[in-house]
Amino acid sequence: MPKSLTIDPAEARQPALIRAPELPVNAYISDPAAEAERYTRAQLVDVYHDMLLIREFETALDNFKKQGAYRGIEYNHAGPAHLSIGQEAAAVGQCLALEAQDFILGSHRSHGEILAKGLAAIRQLDEAQLLEIMERYSGGAALRVVEALDAYSDARALAQAWLVYGTYAEIFARETGFNKGMGGSMHTFLPPFGIMPNNAIVGGSADIALGMALFKRVNRAPGIVIANIGDSSVASGPVWEAMNFAAMDQYHTLWDAELGGAPPILFNFMNNFYGMGGQPQGETLGFGMLARVGLAINAAAMHSERVDGYNPLAVADATRRKKALLLAGAGPAMLDVITYRYSGHSPSDASSYRGRDEVDLWRAQDSISGFGDTLCAEGHADSSALEDIKACTVDLIERVLRAAVDLDASPRLPLNVSGDAIAAMMFSNERAEALDERQPEVLQAKEDSRLQITSGKHRFGLDEAGRPLPKLKTLTYAEAIFEAMIHRFYEDPTMIAFGEENRDWGGAFGAYRGLTEALPYHRLFNTPISEAAIVGVAVGYALAGGRAAPELMYCDFMGRAGDEIFNQMAKWQAMSANVLRMPLVLRVSVGMKYGAQHSQDWSSIVAHIPGLKVYFPATPYDAKGMLNLALRGTDPVVFFESQRLYSQPETLFAGGVPTDYYEVEEGEPYVHRAGSDISIITIGATLYRALEAADRLEREHGLSAEVIDARFLNPLNYAPLAASARKTGKVLLASDASERGSFLHTMASNISQLAFDYLDGPVAVLGSRNWITPPAELDEHFFPGADGMIDIIHQRLLPLPGYRPRSEQGAGAISQRARAGV
Amino acid sequence: MAEAVVMPKLGNTVESAVILGWHVAVGAEVSAGDLLCEIETDKATLEIESTASGILLAQLCAVGDEVPVLSAIALVGSVGSQGESIAEFTAETPSQPTASAMGRNEALEDFEHVEKNIVKISPRARNLAQRNGINYENIDGSGPRGRIIERDIEAALRELPAKVTPVAQAMLDSGDFKLAEGHPGDRRVSKADLTPVERERAAKAIPLAGLRKTIARRLRESLTTTAQLTLNATADARALQAYRRRLKTSEAGLGLAAVSINDLLLFAVARTLPEFPALNSLFEHETIVQLDSVHLGLAVDSERGLMAPVLRNAESLSLKQISAEARRLAEACRAGSIQPDELSGGSFTVSNLGALGIESFTPILNPPQVGLLGVGSINLKPVQQDGEVAFVPHIGLSLTINHQVIDGAPAARFLQKLGANLAQIDLLVAT
Repeated sequence: MPKSLTIDPAEARQPALIRAPELPVNAYISDPAAEAERYTRAQLVDVYHDMLLIREFETALDNFKKQGAYRGIEYNHAGPAHLSIGQEAAAVGQCLALEAQDFILGSHRSHGEILAKGLAAIRQLDEAQLLEIMERYSGGAALRVVEALDAYSDARALAQAWLVYGTYAEIFARETGFNKGMGGSMHTFLPPFGIMPNNAIVGGSADIALGMALFKRVNRAPGIVIANIGDSSVASGPVWEAMNFAAMDQYHTLWDAELGGAPPILFNFMNNFYGMGGQPQGETLGFGMLARVGLAINAAAMHSERVDGYNPLAVADATRRKKALLLAGAGPAMLDVITYRYSGHSPSDASSYRGRDEVDLWRAQDSISGFGDTLCAEGHADSSALEDIKACTVDLIERVLRAAVDLDASPRLPLNVSGDAIAAMMFSNERAEALDERQPEVLQAKEDSRLQITSGKHRFGLDEAGRPLPKLKTLTYAEAIFEAMIHRFYEDPTMIAFGEENRDWGGAFGAYRGLTEALPYHRLFNTPISEAAIVGVAVGYALAGGRAAPELMYCDFMGRAGDEIFNQMAKWQAMSANVLRMPLVLRVSVGMKYGAQHSQDWSSIVAHIPGLKVYFPATPYDAKGMLNLALRGTDPVVFFESQRLYSQPETLFAGGVPTDYYEVEEGEPYVHRAGSDISIITIGATLYRALEAADRLEREHGLSAEVIDARFLNPLNYAPLAASARKTGKVLLASDASERGSFLHTMASNISQLAFDYLDGPVAVLGSRNWITPPAELDEHFFPGADGMIDIIHQRLLPLPGYRPRSEQGAGAISQRARAGV
Repeated sequence: MAEAVVMPKLGNTVESAVILGWHVAVGAEVSAGDLLCEIETDKATLEIESTASGILLAQLCAVGDEVPVLSAIALVGSVGSQGESIAEFTAETPSQPTASAMGRNEALEDFEHVEKNIVKISPRARNLAQRNGINYENIDGSGPRGRIIERDIEAALRELPAKVTPVAQAMLDSGDFKLAEGHPGDRRVSKADLTPVERERAAKAIPLAGLRKTIARRLRESLTTTAQLTLNATADARALQAYRRRLKTSEAGLGLAAVSINDLLLFAVARTLPEFPALNSLFEHETIVQLDSVHLGLAVDSERGLMAPVLRNAESLSLKQISAEARRLAEACRAGSIQPDELSGGSFTVSNLGALGIESFTPILNPPQVGLLGVGSINLKPVQQDGEVAFVPHIGLSLTINHQVIDGAPAARFLQKLGANLAQIDLLVAT
């Protein structure tokens, strides 16, 4: 809470009434004369054409799915097909109001939106731009196929065929598809036309779209962003979080006014009245009309209204008005665009939840034939012209489809030849000091910042005699984090950081103290307690081309952002076939002394998900060097920190923490103590307990223990770990993550594979117990400590003469605990 | 209380036996001395009698199991004693550090029952044992649950220093051999008890670099750009050997004692080549250049790889000079002090593998040179003399030529002449 905003009890306790604006419902009134004035004849005919093209595009897929053939072309499409037959007017109408620089993000049912936006962009860009886009996109792979199909009248005709072909090829998982087939039906996108990722998670686009809108606002990029999401998604947490995040007061009260206000985002609900088979209106939700939900978000009710999505010009009108509001900074906006799908949710849908008569009622009001009739009635076209459009459309679809189903013209990614093709897409592994060339916006010179204080501190925590120096005068782990953050803020103008308590408070653990003074609001701000949106917004910001460093206050809160971390942050680089980058560093703090919901180390869960890099530094030197590494990359990193360590000075790296910039080499474990009898390998803060155990093993048992901090979970170089295992033959792995399913078991398995013949016993794993984290007073029975480490060494690896263990760590305990499930 | 019937010890060399069949069913009454089961060792089939009386509570081994001697095969007792007894007989050794303190449970016992018939030893300990010819099967493991670990083998090694014959020890130390399976630990380990170790594949990957990289490239180029033909012959080596003996025993002051067979070879080649200019020539850019002098390349085996320093104008050097210069060049190669210009400009090369027992081989040319003489070892060859067969020492000569520019017959004539010169090397030196 910034000090500039005072909460006055006199005001807060005042009786009053909340008054809300009235929301328009289907307010658009058709006025043929006005429409003829607003749009050229060609534009109106194009609306018809585009709707027809979408209908035919989807019909062909429907035929493939249900009959295995379309106009004599036989094809078995194995993947999904969520068709939008019936919804064409909502998509085409929207794009009538957009420019190429405006972004749309969609859902699993977005083929129509992709085509509508693409067709609109093709008309807006000049021919040279179109040719360049087609030539450069994916090395011209789709263009080469399309060029060979026909002689085109001009670049726009070629681009239309390219758009249809690239989308089909993507749906059919071909290397010539817009995302090399890695996205498929539900994830296709094409950034040059403003078609951004479509999301197969219901509502998944809401916070990502907001992140892109935030990017546009913070980086002063033109255009608006639309999240096209389904009616049922309004009840999902991340959508709710995104709408609230989009409506924060601070855009108006605290951010620089010249920046232009709130992020330009339109939450556009494609309301087809069904969430799969459930009916939000009347059955599964209670909003009556979806537009009403806007009333809950802010005083402007998100400028929400219901729009007749069966009239493309009504949708265009509403979209145009919202766009003007958004560009003026008055967002967010919300539209409840009613529409209807004739086809099922998917081909397997027998429509058991609705009657034939209902579908027929909508068919009777079909937007395409209705709009065609209007065109004829108003003299914009005659029926033979419409017939010609139909014939051309069918011809285009058929011609393109023949190429798209043909495995010679449109091959799949040759995984049988190059099995690592997808592996090569998982990470971009680039070094990017700055993602834009302009000067970073800051409030003070770097040398005037808190760096002045931190750089003057002792950089190593022990004096020459090995005694600890005063903590307040020594650089801590938290301050090492600060130094890495501020460095990148002053290098990369696109970098922003946000989370709960990030400003003023400086993060709940003070790592950002000093950044508030250095950075304007739009580069460092507090968010609502909306973990899903915190991560989802960062995903969108990164995909749009900026560097985001969001923070989750406690590791335990990752559950609230599960989809955003596991399905969004982890997936988009590869699902885009490396068209997009994900320069996103998610800082996550592992708690302690705070009970069962605030003290868990979930690094193992994250490491399990393909597509994420996972770092976990244990010393100030590594904290700074590894955060520097993460913040100059282009890959998604989940950066674990431990609350046990924030006040820890550097006591292990002899030179202390350099004041200058440096990076730790990615994936490299570090040997903190060399030894010959046993290897103890740790992840995270357990390192210090392992060093204590090593001291005791030497003092009390005459054993020389090697202690290695893995530092990285993914990527991880096993060579030094295996070398240590081969040397000592006895390996203990320890971390604060609960033992069952711990990443330590993956390490144990790999080390066993790599060093089997040298092992003097099976690699032992010591995690926390498979319990709830007990109260702080009982910590020692739960987390691995030096005692537990020596106990497990004694019972599993090397019985120590005369030693009396304090805990049961024998192999028998493995089966006993597993049998009991604890 | 139940009693165990154990697999008896059936002689000094029998360590285990296979159960062939049970004669008493579980639950049946059995008396001490009754036939209990039939077993088979590697030497004989035997019948085992029960050593206890009562009800057969459990057969601890199945038909077909191989059971170590002195381990329990059956439990005999009264009904009701079964549960505790199985646990007791399958339980861990009392040295287990925490078992008694922590209490036991069924899962743990299940675990150990499965393990009781195998020798528990870590891979590391087994490797150490096999490398040192230690039979570990009777060693008590000090590791968790009785596992034999590295320190147990180390202790056994300290106790049993003299049980391996010196030859066997040397073989074991080489790392190429290990003790064969099933060797009884109480007998001295000899060469016959060892079997070769199966080597890990690709133990070490060494990227090509430096001289090795150059050699690899040049040899490949040599084979791909020339037509190489190797001719093999032998030459009477009696004169060589006799002359070498004389040199070796000559007065120290003459400085000839160090002249080797190879020096004599070099000398002979240097004196023979001028008569065969086709062999003392270079072929490059579609041109043959015949040289006036013999610049004799000398293949030297150094730690860094094969090198070929050049004896310049060898045809004009005396035997003593050739010997001294050859030695100087070889030592410079081995010391790494050889100069680049001493490694280039050769017109013909001699490579001698005779000292390593090679009789003949197919040397690879050093282009643009067109001839290279490989020298083999000296071996006895039956020769017919005066109607009788005598064994005469002969030295192997393998001449590789570039068949693009030299025909077989002239090359053969060179070999013939060289052989004749070697056969009268003493005279050749005098010329």
